[in-house]
Amino acid sequence: MAKQWLWRLVQTAAGIWLLASLVFVLSHLGPVQGADVLLPTAGDLNTAATPGSFAQREATRRAVQRRLGLDQPVFYVSWQSATDTAGGYWRWHGLPNQYHSWLLRTVHGDWGTSLSSREPVTTQLWQAVVYTFPLVVITLLFTLLLAWQLAEQLAARPWWQPLMQTALTGLQALPLFAIALALLLLLANPEVVAWFPPYGLGQTTPTDVGWGPWLSSYAYHAILPAVSLMLSVLPAVTLQLAGALRNELAQPYTATAYAKGLSQPQVIRRHALRNALLPSLTQLTDLLPTLVAGTLVVEVVFALPGMGRLLVQAATTRDYPLLVGGVLLIGTARLLALLLADALYKWADPRIR
Amino acid sequence: MKHLFPLGLRLALMALGLVAGCTSQPPKELPVRVRWTRDPESLDPLFLANQYAIEAANLLHLSLLQVDFSKNDFSPALAEALPTVTLLGDSLTRLTYQLRKAAAWDNGQPITGHDVALTLKLMYCPGLPNESARAQAGFIRSVQVDSLNPKRFTLTCQGQAVEHMQASGDFFILPEAVLDPQHELRPTSLPELQKRIPTTPPDSALSRLARRYLAAVPMPGGPAAALGCGPYELVSWQKNQALRLRLKSRWWADQLPLRPFVLQARPQRLEFAIIPDDATAALALQHHDIDLYPQVSAAQFAQLRASKAARTQLAFYTAPSYDIVAAGFNTRRPALADGPTRRALSYLFDAAGLLQATQLGQGLRTVGLIHPNDQRNYNRGLKLLPFAPDTTALLLRQAGWQQTTPKGPWQRQSKAGPRQNLALRFRYRADDASFETIALQFRAAAASIGIAVELLPTEASALTPNLQAGDFDVYARLIKGNPFLFNFMPALHSSARGAGNFTGYGTPASDQLIEAIAAARRPVQKAKLLRQFQATLQADAPLVPLFFMATRLAASRQLRGLHISHLKPGYLITTTERKSTSSPTP
Repeated sequence: MAKQWLWRLVQTAAGIWLLASLVFVLSHLGPVQGADVLLPTAGDLNTAATPGSFAQREATRRAVQRRLGLDQPVFYVSWQSATDTAGGYWRWHGLPNQYHSWLLRTVHGDWGTSLSSREPVTTQLWQAVVYTFPLVVITLLFTLLLAWQLAEQLAARPWWQPLMQTALTGLQALPLFAIALALLLLLANPEVVAWFPPYGLGQTTPTDVGWGPWLSSYAYHAILPAVSLMLSVLPAVTLQLAGALRNELAQPYTATAYAKGLSQPQVIRRHALRNALLPSLTQLTDLLPTLVAGTLVVEVVFALPGMGRLLVQAATTRDYPLLVGGVLLIGTARLLALLLADALYKWADPRIR
Repeated sequence: MKHLFPLGLRLALMALGLVAGCTSQPPKELPVRVRWTRDPESLDPLFLANQYAIEAANLLHLSLLQVDFSKNDFSPALAEALPTVTLLGDSLTRLTYQLRKAAAWDNGQPITGHDVALTLKLMYCPGLPNESARAQAGFIRSVQVDSLNPKRFTLTCQGQAVEHMQASGDFFILPEAVLDPQHELRPTSLPELQKRIPTTPPDSALSRLARRYLAAVPMPGGPAAALGCGPYELVSWQKNQALRLRLKSRWWADQLPLRPFVLQARPQRLEFAIIPDDATAALALQHHDIDLYPQVSAAQFAQLRASKAARTQLAFYTAPSYDIVAAGFNTRRPALADGPTRRALSYLFDAAGLLQATQLGQGLRTVGLIHPNDQRNYNRGLKLLPFAPDTTALLLRQAGWQQTTPKGPWQRQSKAGPRQNLALRFRYRADDASFETIALQFRAAAASIGIAVELLPTEASALTPNLQAGDFDVYARLIKGNPFLFNFMPALHSSARGAGNFTGYGTPASDQLIEAIAAARRPVQKAKLLRQFQATLQADAPLVPLFFMATRLAASRQLRGLHISHLKPGYLITTTERKSTSSPTP
């Protein structure tokens, strides 16, 4: 058993390395490079001595590349187009290349520094994760509790089941940005109802104002983002679990349970739920990478400095160390979530062991 | 497990209770809060990544000369007066500065010419992000500090352009005492550093300088550094969230008996809130979470002005800006290489309609790259191009183009080459609806006379490399202008092809004219050349300037002293204060 898990961990580590390597190489092969983004905007008329000529701009570009180590080959080998013929050939560059340097640093725990701010990548990722993590954890906990209760009720086929199912299906069809914007414009709008603030989560710290006021401020500002996230996740989890529970309640073994004199909630919790959980486990572990990756739409709408915004910014500014670091972190979370799903499957269904 | 739901309910109720506690917090004195759309990314005075970084740096640091919003010109800041200018031969300029007597660092040490010299040397120090700063101040060839009066120094500059005076004072001065306390760099002259081969490993003094500099530059969440001699100091920088500044308790300019406009600093605390979404920013303004919302989009501005509730709380401002929305043609394409074809296609842009559609009419149409409010230099003899697809068809025929069928494609036989087809690829920024509107309008107008246009919406950071590579036929973009400078070299000179001259335009005559404008010293002579240049540009039509944008700003009525400007960022925060009374002014 231990050998099997060790093998899975090795496979996971290899998968993470492959993913990060692919992102590293592909991002460096694009037409726009990190050095381009760090140069002054070309073609503007607002500076007296912008490096105007092509030669001046290229000199500046080379200087930026040299400083950042981007003047080295990207990988061990590269495809060289022949100048005089249509073909080309592979060229071996040896160990002095950007990928090799990055790999060595990463193995030693150094994920590099951001190209623009020169801040360590690990610091930036940590700050973003720490910001998003509590919000998403709280949201997921509330979502699971609510989904569980709703699914249990829906499985019993009450009179409001069709109505609720239609509402949940309708909600599921709405994109997250529509939900977030609707909540913002309805509940944080002085022209409609301004019950909640549109912005400001995490603006204070416990050391600034004390734990009590900080906690109250956090809860007040977190309600809208958390509800937006909850409404986007709730339908899928509820509908899936309710459907699975209904299937299980139709199985002959539940008749035996009823015959023993158990009530329907007891039948569901003691017998049907464990069997119904199997598909939901995959669904729930799928949500785990979100804890790390953040949720871009909610972060943009409610101005939260989470991982989603950080990575989009890294991608648009071609900040490769930050981008690759983010992918590495999210990829790790994703692959570990798959491992967790496997473990939970084995716990829930002994036949798989 | 069955007790989980009641627990959840209890938690929710507790949260609501805490919220109630939150609302009963006593109000405290608030900073002036401004909305930014993105993080400044860097507060490194040698590398300011975006407009917000420049805005913050202007509060933390000071230059010799600063933009004076009251005069719309440069005024002395650290310098006591504008430099005295001496022309040397026909290729050098000598600028002599005298620093203000009171100018001092936070520890009381005077700011001297040695600080200026070290700042210039930092631009050539290896290992620092100084490439752009070096390129901008590269025309300064040497600096000599007066041995008897260290507050007096002389810069020797390459070239004799009028703009050298402003550019020579437009960089932030950094403290030698912090970065080079042992004065190790004093024996090394600026020309020696300029001549240094970039690949040579740095000596120990340069390495130490680089190390001290990098340690002193502030980072998000890190300790605040004391590098600047500006009025404000950094309190905190939460990346992608907020930047907070505080007025220094002892700032050297406080001692000045009559403080000039560029050295005003009234608000005690400033907070720049990073809110990426426009709708959230508008609600935050109405909710009193922020006080100032600059660069409001036209639609959002109209929406806010239409709201009765917003009108009672907010004041609305507009000012002309120097940002030009322009289209450009790829003159390297054989079909677009001739002026008559490009001029014909210029009539397909409905500039008036586009100004209304994208900016709700706020902005100014123009004949060229000079602002119409610039009475001296704008060429009033030129006419604004009308929207006239019929004229396009007529002019295309005159340029040798023929339609194979009445509504069919246009073709012409080139003198020495294959038959040319007039089908265009239009590249623009995908994330800006204004440019998409321009592209769609152009495509519809072109289609009405049988010209096919393929749209190429492009990610913002990929636009410039694509334009530099010439991968387009027509483009639309925003050109950032400047009221002080008329330097068209980076955008339209033939030497800038592949760099900032995206159109690839440049004839010996146009190059000569651009160089003459850069070298002209007398305003009358410059104005004449500028008017001539506008006429040349309209006739050759490599660029079609559509309109100058407007700056829109919404602010809480709780603020007073807000100074609106057509210069970036559109307002002057240092003169702004919060009114002491809490009731909004009607």
